[in-house]
Amino acid sequence: MRGQRREQHREQHREQHREQHRERGSALPAAVGALCRALPPRARPAPDTLRRARFDRPQASLDFWKLLYVLLKQIHGGRWTESDAIGAQVSFVKWALWYHGYGRPQLQRLPADGSAGSRELLLAFSWLLHSPGLLEQLLARNRVQPGDQTSVCTCGDELPSSQEGTSEAGPEERVDVRYLQWLNGRLRLQWCSLHAQHQEQCKLWYKIHLFTSGSHMDQNLGHFSVTETDLIRQPENYKQLLQLLDSETKQLEAFLEWKQLEPVYWQWMETVLDNMAEEGNMCESQNVHVEKRRLPEATPWAAKLTGQMDRLSRDLVALQEHLHQLVAQRKAAWWEKVATREELQKERFSATARKIQESTELKLRGLTSLCAPKKKMHGLCRLVLRSKHPAGRMGFGQCGSKEAVAAVSAAEVITELQVREASLQRELQQLRQQCRHRLDGIAEGLEGVICISP
Amino acid sequence: MSIVTVQLGQCGNQIGQEVFSALCSDIRGTHGLCSKKENGSYQDSCKERFFCEEESAVPVARAVLVDMEPKVISQTLSMAARSGHWKYSSHSHFCQKQGSGNNWANGYSVHGPRHKEAIMNLVQKEAEKCDRLGGFFTIMSMAGGTGSGLGAFVTQCLRDAFPTSFILNHVVWPYGTGEVIVQNYNSVLTLSHLYHSSDALLVHENDVIHKICAQLMNIKQISFRDVNQVIAHQLGSVFQPTHTAGGGSGYSRNPLGELMESLVPHPEFRMLGLRNIPQMPESSLPYSTFSWPGLIKHLRQMLIANAQMEEGIDWQVRPPSSIPSTNKPLHFNTSIANLVILRGKDVHGVDLGSFQDPSLYTSWLNPQDAFNAWKTPRAFNKYEKSAALVSNSQFLLKPLDSIVGKAWNMFASKAYLHQYAKFGIQEEDFLDCFTTLEQVISSYTNL
Repeated sequence: MRGQRREQHREQHREQHREQHRERGSALPAAVGALCRALPPRARPAPDTLRRARFDRPQASLDFWKLLYVLLKQIHGGRWTESDAIGAQVSFVKWALWYHGYGRPQLQRLPADGSAGSRELLLAFSWLLHSPGLLEQLLARNRVQPGDQTSVCTCGDELPSSQEGTSEAGPEERVDVRYLQWLNGRLRLQWCSLHAQHQEQCKLWYKIHLFTSGSHMDQNLGHFSVTETDLIRQPENYKQLLQLLDSETKQLEAFLEWKQLEPVYWQWMETVLDNMAEEGNMCESQNVHVEKRRLPEATPWAAKLTGQMDRLSRDLVALQEHLHQLVAQRKAAWWEKVATREELQKERFSATARKIQESTELKLRGLTSLCAPKKKMHGLCRLVLRSKHPAGRMGFGQCGSKEAVAAVSAAEVITELQVREASLQRELQQLRQQCRHRLDGIAEGLEGVICISP
Repeated sequence: MSIVTVQLGQCGNQIGQEVFSALCSDIRGTHGLCSKKENGSYQDSCKERFFCEEESAVPVARAVLVDMEPKVISQTLSMAARSGHWKYSSHSHFCQKQGSGNNWANGYSVHGPRHKEAIMNLVQKEAEKCDRLGGFFTIMSMAGGTGSGLGAFVTQCLRDAFPTSFILNHVVWPYGTGEVIVQNYNSVLTLSHLYHSSDALLVHENDVIHKICAQLMNIKQISFRDVNQVIAHQLGSVFQPTHTAGGGSGYSRNPLGELMESLVPHPEFRMLGLRNIPQMPESSLPYSTFSWPGLIKHLRQMLIANAQMEEGIDWQVRPPSSIPSTNKPLHFNTSIANLVILRGKDVHGVDLGSFQDPSLYTSWLNPQDAFNAWKTPRAFNKYEKSAALVSNSQFLLKPLDSIVGKAWNMFASKAYLHQYAKFGIQEEDFLDCFTTLEQVISSYTNL
C-alpha cells in the first residue's frame, strides 16, 4: 500500500516537473538570451553553450573555460589575447574563482587541458552571477567614460608592521647604501614629475569646466565633461561615441530584461544541481588531499595573508585576556578601597560618583569616535565644478565605482587628507627621533667618532 | 611644459638675455636639416618651454629679472626688445636703487627678506601662466654680492614655496684671479646654501669659457658678451627639445625632471659639469665636416681626462682596467652619472657603447642606471652635428677644493669677517658652510 502511494507521489511530482519544464521551456531561451546580451560584446557565449554545458558535453568545455577566462580577466583589470594558451586560461580561472571564494573542490580538480567539466563551469558561472555580481561589475567597468575622473582613496594605511624584516637582510647580498640612496632619490623625483602632471591635468580640466559652464542640459552638472568637449571640437568622432553609447544602452536594456526573467534561470539551475547530486553519489572523490597543496602555489601571497590573519587573531586573543586580567585587578583594588571608605557621607559620595560618571562618559565618547569606522571613500569620482563660493570650489559628482560614494565636496576630502598628513608627519618625526637616539647610542660606543645627525 | 627662468644679479641677467636670444635665433633659423614636421614640433616645444605667446606680436620670455641696480636690467630689457624677435614682459622685473657692494651677507640677510614678497609675487605670476610648471632655472654668479647672496635666498624661497618643483641653479664660477677679494667667501656661502635648497647645480667656470673663446673661437679681444654667448650656446644645447628614452614619440615634456632623475637622485652628489663639442667661430662652420664617431671619441676622452675643450686633450689618460678602485690613476675622472645629448643629422645610428663602459663609473652604480642619452635629428644653432655632455663626476672636485682651501685660509686669519658679521653671518654660519662643502668634497673624492 505504502509502495503504491509512493509510486503515485512520484508520478505526480514528475507530472508537475514536466509542466513546469514546458512553461520554462519558452521563458528559458529568452532569459539566457538576455543574459548573453547583457555581457560585454566580446565575451558573449553562444546560447547553445549553456545548454550543452548542462548536459556536461565535453565540446562545450573549451568554450566555457574561454568565456570564464575573458570575463574574469576583465573584472581583474588584466589583459588577454585570443591566443592565450588553454593551460594558462584554466589556471587563471581556477585562481580567480578561489579568490572570489568559490569553494567547490570539483572545479579545482578539472583537467588543465580544458577537455571536460562544462557542467562544473556552468555552476561556477551561475555562482559568479550571483555572489560577486559578475554582470553588475562588468557593466560598471565598461561604461563610457566622461574623461574627467580622478581617484579618491581615504582608506587607512595598510603598511606592514615595522617589526617585520628588520633582521632579514642576508649577508650574501650586500648592497651599497649609496645605491639605495640613489634609488630613493629617483623615486622621489619621479613622484615630483607625477605631481606636476596631475597639476597640469587639473588645470586643464578647470579650464574646460570653466569655459563650458552654463552649457549643459543637466542643471546639476552645469558644464561639459572632457568627452563632450572633445566631441564639440571634433564632431566627426560622434559616430564612434554613438556606437559605444548604443552598445552600452543595449547591454543595460538586456540587463533589465534579464532581471525580470532571472527566476526562470535559477529554477533551471536547480534542476542542473539535482542532476549533479544524483550522479555525484556514483563517483567518489579520491584526490581530496591534493587540493590543499595546490592552492597556495597559485597565489604566492595567499599564504602570507593567512599567516597575517592568524597572527592578528592570536594577538587579539592575547590582548583580550590581558584586558580581562587588568579589569579584574582594577575591580578588586576598587572594591577594597570602597570597602574601607564605607563610612563616607552620602552626599560627598554621590557628588564624586556623578563626577566619575561624567568623566567616564567623556572618555567613552572619545573612544567611540576614535574607533568608529570613518567614512571611507574609495574609487573613481567624476569632477564637477560648483561655484557655491565666488572662488568656485570643485565638487565631486556621481561615482563610477563599486562602492556608491555619495556626492562629496573636494574641500572635505582635502581637509581629511590634511589631517591624515599631519598625523603621519608626527609619526615620522617620532620615528626620526628614535633613530637619532639609536645612532647617538651607537656612536657613544665607538671610539673617536662624532655623530652629526642630519 | 614650461620652465621659469630667474635671472639674478648682473651676471645672471646678462647671461639670461643671451640664452633667450640663442634659443630664439635657433628656432627661427631654417637650418634645421630635418623634416618640416620635425622642425615644427621642435619649434612648438621650445616655444612652450621658454616663451609665452601672449597677445603681443613677439613671444615673451618666461623669466623674472632681479637685480639691486636698475642699470643692467634696463639694458637687458632693451637689448631683448631691440632684437624684434622676442622680448621680456614689462612687468616681470624687480630692481632697487642701490647695489649690494659685493657683500653676500647684505644680499642674503638684508635685501632678501626685505624684498621677498615682491620677488616671489613675480615668480608666482610667471608660474601661474604655465599650464604645466616644469621647474625653475636660476642663473647667478657665485662671487658677487647680489647674484650670490640674494640668489641663495631666492632659491630657498623657491624651495619653500614650491616644494615639489625641480630647481636647477646655473652657477658661474669666478675667475681664479678675480677682482673681488672676498669672492671665495661668497662662493663657499653660496654653494653650501644652494646645496640645501636646489636639486642640481650646473656650473660654468669663467676661466674655461675664456680659454674656449681664445683658442677655439679665435676671438682677440674677449668681452663679457663673448663669454656669455658661449655659455648661452652650451646651455641651449642642453635645454632645447629632445627625444628622451622614456618620452614616447614626441619631444620630452619633462626635461628638467628627466635631467634630475638621470643625474642627481643622490642628495650628496649635485654638482654638474657641462661640455660641448664642436665649438668654432661661425665663419668656419661651412668649411667643416663632422662625424659622429669622431665627436663621441673626443667627448669621451674629454670626460675621462677632465679636459675642458676639444683641444689639448690628454689622450694618455685611460680608464682603469679591472683593478679595484683604490688603484685608480690619478688624473682619471670618475663619473657617477652622465647624460649625452646629440643633435643633428643621422643621429639615430650613433653608437654610444663607449660611454657605457663600467670602468668609467663608480663601483656602486651600473651603466644602465648611470648613463642616459637624448637625441634629436634637428640640428642646433647651425652646427650640423653637435654633442653635449652633462656630467655628474669629479670635474669640479679640484676647483671646489681650491676655492674651499683659499676661503679657509682667509677664514683662519679672520680676514674681512666683520663685513659679514655686520649683517648677521657669524663664524658658526661659516663653519657650517665649510662642513657641508668638506662633506661634498669627501664624497666626490671617495668615488
